Amino acid sequence: MKNTRLPTLERFREVNQTFPKTREILELKQKGKKVFGWLCTYVPEEIIHAAGALPIRITGYSQETELEDGNAYLYINNCSFSRSCLQMGLRGEYDYLDGVIAGSTCDGARRLFDLWRHYIKTPFHHILTVPRKCTERAQSLYYEQVSQLKLLLEEHLNTVITDEALFKSITVFNESRELLQKLYQLRRLDRPPITGAETMEVLNASFRMPKELFNQYLRQLLDELAISDVTHTSRARLMVTGSVMNNPEFLRSIEELGGLVVTDELCTSTRYWSDPVVLDGRSPLEAISRRYLSNFPCARMVPSDERFNRIMQLARDFRVDGVISQTIRYCVPYAHDLPLITAKLKEIGIPTLALDVEYGTSGSGQIRTRVQAFLEMLEARKK
Amino acid sequence: MTITGERNKIDSLIRSYTLMARMNRARPGARQSQTLYYQMLAEYYTRVRNAHEEGKLVAAHTVFFPTEILYAMDIVPLHTETTTWLIALFLREQTELLIKGAELGLAPEICSPHRGVAGIFGLNAIPRPDIILWSNLICDNTAKSGELIMELNHSPGFFLDNPFQGSAGEMNYLVDELKDMVHFLEEKSGRKMDWKKLSEIITRTDQEIELYREICELRKAIPSPMSILGYLELISADYLFPGQPEAIQYLTVLRDELKDMVKHGRGAVSPERFRLMTLFLPPLHLIGYLGTLFAELGAVSVVEPFFTRWSEGKLDPDRPLESVAKKSFLIPERRSMYGPLSQQALQDIADGAEQYKIDGAIYWAFMGCRHTCATIRVVKEVLSEIDVPMLTLDCDIMDPTVNSEEEIRNKLEQFFEMLEDR
Repeated sequence: MKNTRLPTLERFREVNQTFPKTREILELKQKGKKVFGWLCTYVPEEIIHAAGALPIRITGYSQETELEDGNAYLYINNCSFSRSCLQMGLRGEYDYLDGVIAGSTCDGARRLFDLWRHYIKTPFHHILTVPRKCTERAQSLYYEQVSQLKLLLEEHLNTVITDEALFKSITVFNESRELLQKLYQLRRLDRPPITGAETMEVLNASFRMPKELFNQYLRQLLDELAISDVTHTSRARLMVTGSVMNNPEFLRSIEELGGLVVTDELCTSTRYWSDPVVLDGRSPLEAISRRYLSNFPCARMVPSDERFNRIMQLARDFRVDGVISQTIRYCVPYAHDLPLITAKLKEIGIPTLALDVEYGTSGSGQIRTRVQAFLEMLEARKK
Repeated sequence: MTITGERNKIDSLIRSYTLMARMNRARPGARQSQTLYYQMLAEYYTRVRNAHEEGKLVAAHTVFFPTEILYAMDIVPLHTETTTWLIALFLREQTELLIKGAELGLAPEICSPHRGVAGIFGLNAIPRPDIILWSNLICDNTAKSGELIMELNHSPGFFLDNPFQGSAGEMNYLVDELKDMVHFLEEKSGRKMDWKKLSEIITRTDQEIELYREICELRKAIPSPMSILGYLELISADYLFPGQPEAIQYLTVLRDELKDMVKHGRGAVSPERFRLMTLFLPPLHLIGYLGTLFAELGAVSVVEPFFTRWSEGKLDPDRPLESVAKKSFLIPERRSMYGPLSQQALQDIADGAEQYKIDGAIYWAFMGCRHTCATIRVVKEVLSEIDVPMLTLDCDIMDPTVNSEEEIRNKLEQFFEMLEDR
């Protein structure tokens, strides 16, 4: 349904509906722009951007799909996100990519990268070693890794990535983060003007188009929201946590039942944009490297305290009534954290609904029934 | 499920191995190495049981953790995953552990040994270790299992961040992580690291690796002298006693036995009909059955690229921590199973197939091991290029509800029939 209240949201939707073969990307390719796909939020996009290329995030099918090729190549016990991405790669959906960059973040991501490199003839492949800790020593190692990536890109693209270019990229990406922060601030309101599903459409577009254009659109959207008189009430304010998830339909199905997703802890959402690059007297490359390792952590990081503390802070800040933790089957890092974070949220009086899902699920069937029951329980608690 | 007495599992394991060693000694024609193996296991768990009485700390740790350091500091190691495997293999009491893991909230997609480890701690089925040590070698499960165990065990812990690739910077990082770990252990144990002892352990670890290489060479013989049980015993030596006199003694005796068998043309099975490459691990609770079945069908596992083919390289006792770090990049599991998946690792599988003159390969597709199963297709293609068929068998290495003996027999018999027709 066309959104006449928020016309810019329609532009984001167009980007998402045609991705990966979006008009903007294909036009840029025709003009000779290089496009690099990245596979995890630990890959520093600013460096790709500063090299004059367009960074886009590799994602899988945005709905549940038969993953025949993904199953055949990655086997059925790798997460459906990895299988979905690989299948799209194998079927040529990302055939315009000039490079793929990954991080050694989890078993699924590592193997997705391994098989992409083995079977899909993208011209440039690189995987960064991403430490599991966020100590000063780990920062040094990661800086070394990020520096190596810069050198490899310079060599491959026959260019020099200057500090000036990095500064410019930092400015563009930080602006994007700042604008998304403003968008999220609106979701703290008692009656937010935007739903969780709509926000996810914005976020999906954020890693699928040139950042400069995205920022321009997002400024427009914020203006539209400022004058919009539509607001949303709900049976319960919810936070969604867990594995990678970028299907707005999943959130829409929750919201159709009367819940309102007001915040999240997803690598496609809050964990993607939350922390800016802080220069603080550092070189731009070092500042970028530090930001990516110390950003809102994925469940892969050890110890988990930082992730847990941030989740609980979000829950308080956004005054959530309940948390929906969705774990993609075979997403082991989040599965291991689930009992621990559930207990911590319980301590502060916030119930968790744990859902086992497949990547791309729209939240129908049994999921819908369980969310409905969860909302009823949350309502009963309020009375 | 009720566990009677907190030391139940450890005591049961000790009793089981002591009995098996005694029975083996009394059995005519039994291998001396196998008796030593059972004695080694009994000794390992006896040390765990007696540690506190002897004023020593027990450190529970995940797989591929550098326990050379613990031995050098006189801290008693307790290998968590191997303990769950051994409970499955020898006691067949893994079900209660898996049920407890589920009760703790661990999803069935988490690999069963790690659900079992959580179950062990949740049930207090072993004496309470003093320290928990874990690392990200070799998967997300090892990286993520430590925190829950720490919470269940109410004990301090240390996470060793083992970097993914082996660049100079990454090796330095790992060495510094090891230094931190030594500092942590000194603080917790009140004992100083004995660097001389660590150097001696490194010298023996190098000997141990050489013995592994010699044993692998002997297994190229036709007929091949080692049964499927032998390969599981073989890997346990390094998992439990790295650089320890017990491992050297066991491996030396084993090597000499194999040498003698090769010299006299004796194989592990007679007649030897099918020489196999084994990829990953078969269901451990069915290993006795598989030993009998393989013998009946004339099948023998001659090479296991993920577990028994060590990378080239030597350790340096004068640089003990660097050697500990280097060893973690020499282990077979790292190169072929963990990644990154390189052409070299794939070539090594093809080379292994040719050097060991295999007729076929069996890939035990353990559903809990995601990063291993991700290589099934690519390994199958590599072997297919050199005309070696591969059977993929879905399994669980601990959970008895996944595979039955009959199902495994049927699939293996069909595969062997196909091999015979060729």
